[in-house]
Amino acid sequence: MSAVLEVRGLQAGYGRSEVLHGVDLKVPPGAAVALLGSNGAGKTTLLKTIAGLVPARGGEILLQGRPVERRPANARARAGLCLIPEGRGIFRRLTVRENLTMQVGRRHLNGCLDKATGRFPKLGQRMDQVAGTLSGGEQQMLALARALVTDPVVVMADELSVGLAPVVVDEIFEALEVLEAEGRSLLLVEQYVERAVGIADYVYILQKGEIVFVGEPSQCASGVVFARYLGASA
Amino acid sequence: MREYLPFLVIGLASGSIYAIAAMGLVVTYKTSGVFNFAHGAVGMIATFIFYSLRVDAGVPTWLAAALAILVVAPAIGVVIDRLLLRRLRGAAASSYVVVSLGLLVGLQYLAIVIYGPATRSVEPIFSRSTFRLPGVNVGYDQAIIVAISLAAALLLAAFFRATRLGIQTRAVVDDADLTELMGTSSARVTTFSWMLGCSFAALAGVLLSPFLGIDAVLLTLLVIKAFGAAAVGRLVSLPRTYVGAIGIGVGEALLTKWVAARPGLAGLPTSLSFIVLFAVLVFSRKGSFAELTTQAARAAGGVRARLVQARARRFPARLLAVTVTVAVLLPLRLDGSRLLTATSTLAFVLVFASLGLLVGLSRQVSLCHAVFVVFGATTLSHFQDAGIPYLLALLLAGLVLVPVGALVAIPAIRLSGLFLALATFGFGVLAQYLIFGTKFAFGTKALRTLTRPELLGISFTGDKAFYYFVLAVVVAGVLAIEVVRVTRLGRLLRALADSPTATESVGVNPTASRVIVFCLTAFLAAVAGGLLGSLTQVVNPTSFDFSQSLFWIAVLVTAGPATLGGAILSAVLLVTVPAVFTARAVTQWQPVAFGVLAIALAQAPNGLAGFWRVPDFSALARASAWRRRTAGSRRAERAAARRAVPAAAAAETTMAGVGG
Repeated sequence: MSAVLEVRGLQAGYGRSEVLHGVDLKVPPGAAVALLGSNGAGKTTLLKTIAGLVPARGGEILLQGRPVERRPANARARAGLCLIPEGRGIFRRLTVRENLTMQVGRRHLNGCLDKATGRFPKLGQRMDQVAGTLSGGEQQMLALARALVTDPVVVMADELSVGLAPVVVDEIFEALEVLEAEGRSLLLVEQYVERAVGIADYVYILQKGEIVFVGEPSQCASGVVFARYLGASA
Repeated sequence: MREYLPFLVIGLASGSIYAIAAMGLVVTYKTSGVFNFAHGAVGMIATFIFYSLRVDAGVPTWLAAALAILVVAPAIGVVIDRLLLRRLRGAAASSYVVVSLGLLVGLQYLAIVIYGPATRSVEPIFSRSTFRLPGVNVGYDQAIIVAISLAAALLLAAFFRATRLGIQTRAVVDDADLTELMGTSSARVTTFSWMLGCSFAALAGVLLSPFLGIDAVLLTLLVIKAFGAAAVGRLVSLPRTYVGAIGIGVGEALLTKWVAARPGLAGLPTSLSFIVLFAVLVFSRKGSFAELTTQAARAAGGVRARLVQARARRFPARLLAVTVTVAVLLPLRLDGSRLLTATSTLAFVLVFASLGLLVGLSRQVSLCHAVFVVFGATTLSHFQDAGIPYLLALLLAGLVLVPVGALVAIPAIRLSGLFLALATFGFGVLAQYLIFGTKFAFGTKALRTLTRPELLGISFTGDKAFYYFVLAVVVAGVLAIEVVRVTRLGRLLRALADSPTATESVGVNPTASRVIVFCLTAFLAAVAGGLLGSLTQVVNPTSFDFSQSLFWIAVLVTAGPATLGGAILSAVLLVTVPAVFTARAVTQWQPVAFGVLAIALAQAPNGLAGFWRVPDFSALARASAWRRRTAGSRRAERAAARRAVPAAAAAETTMAGVGG
């Protein structure tokens, strides 16, 4: 199995403290991977390090077989790695249209807008609205649409569903499934563990900066795994 | 009312030029998070190059202007961004302030080295002939300037709305990380904003030059008037900045007419921009000026906690003993002008040590130190005229400056880093323009004389005797500062510099310590000013103008702001070196070197003094062999030390985690 995204022995941290102590992780083509772990386990740091926002201190990051750990975040993004960061991954002070088109050349402009509005018709009605004034769900849809127009190979989403109404969470997960159906790989960090596991092909559990569990969703069904690593409540 | 019309036209023209400079400043600050104190200096250098090309090389005016504005200035912008600022990522806001101040000092004195200090007049660029509007004659050049400024504003607005690079720039302003994630290099966008900002500074300089001529100091100052306009726009809003600049330009011109009959207020028009700057910063709602530097730094390189250990936690008894011994013995070998240099060096030790309380200890960059020094000298002179005995007069001169220090502390309570530096800068300039000429300072004679002391029947008027008097006062002042450093107030100030939030969360009210440190600084600087005044026995308004305040920061940062050794080294480098090595190469390049070194050492908390390592015998003893045998106890010690790593820093990290 050749992975689209592979992380080997990744180390990263802030200042004097190391957060990731040698993480290994594989995202196979077209697969969805759920990354779980308690608060402070290093999930967000892992995604940021893969995307290039936090410098890697050791280890390798391979995107479609090519090492990218020394390249800047913007080069990784152009190579097909897309991170929708925690919070609202949009430019709040730009309009919806500007959010979608800032990285696209004039020639592809209309095509990309059509693609985004085809998936999220609601956004089509709000093209010239300032993004910060959209509702929470619409903002997350815009973030997803923005990720789409860059045509990524791997989409990493950090807590997409935080603070959203259950109905909206449904919509978000539908959109994620469509992304997966298009053949893109997903790496998801989610607070709704069961929903994430529901669409995942593989589950990784991160604890104190190390991967402590790798398996398929069926292995988690009994709840024993979650009880052991995430606490009984999960 | 009609007689004000020509001044309205003049004001619109000069306001339009300020607007160009201010918009450039705002674009760069918004995008990169770095406020460029050297904005005026960049414009000045580009204008000098325009002048050289046009006059010395005979290049046609339009081409010379195009080269200066579109090639030279952007190149300077690239150098500033890529070479000077990129390595600072994650640094404190005050480091950025220091770097751009160093750049200001370096460029200004470089221009003096190359082009000399004299003002050169510049041939008009546009036609000086006039046309008639109802009630007033308008120059074509004035009309063209207003048109250029308007066009620049509209083009800038169009650029941000309609072009991809413009939208990407706004995206970087909004969230630099996210821009990276979208595949746009935020570094490239930031560099472009520096090129754009520097071009605007150059355009402003070139347009100003025919009216006022070029000289290194004046032109820098004129472009710096953009600071006031930028403050009106809260450093982020371009339309407000434009309106603010026009308002300041028009206000200046109308005031010029108005004060023509009121000589006491002659300084008012020139200082209007700085009054606006100070007032906006001090009176706007708390929180309306948010620091962009830290956000941008965090976005650019992740949170890089720099635990800078300033080496000034112990009382420097040895250094003091050695220095005082040397100082006591020096007059045996020195006489004449050398003794005067030594006396001046001593007084400057107190100037720098008191500045170090702010810059080094509480890491607040204050840009009005010269004001304290000058008022110290003039106030002492006034008290002497009133017949008060010297020592009491010196003490009183210091005390008079304490409320002034408290006044400057008002912005210090509410503002940090950049905005404090800006507010104190505004205060320094307007104090010079508004108060130097009044009877409280120099009066209309623009001169004050001072005498040297006579105490208990002993005369200190001789050079040697006065040297020892200065030595005694300076030692007393330095002792006071060192005591502050090692006691509770010093610890509080260090903690506040580290993290105001964390310090407040343990129940400390930061206001009192900040006010006290400013009052103490003002007191000691005033005393030092009194000594310097008595040394030369005459002071005039040009002795220490506001640009000295900026220069001293560069000197102190070079030598080391956090220690007594740094203050001593500052005084030696500034005063003694050019007096001993009188070669032109030394005296001319010395200020340039301070600018360059301040940039290089902005992040080294102990400057050059930090490279001077006195072997720490007690540490050696602790690490000696017999201790190593008890490895267990050492491990416990190390664990304890790790636990004690500034709790403040830990608290801030936690908070950043919650906020992010």
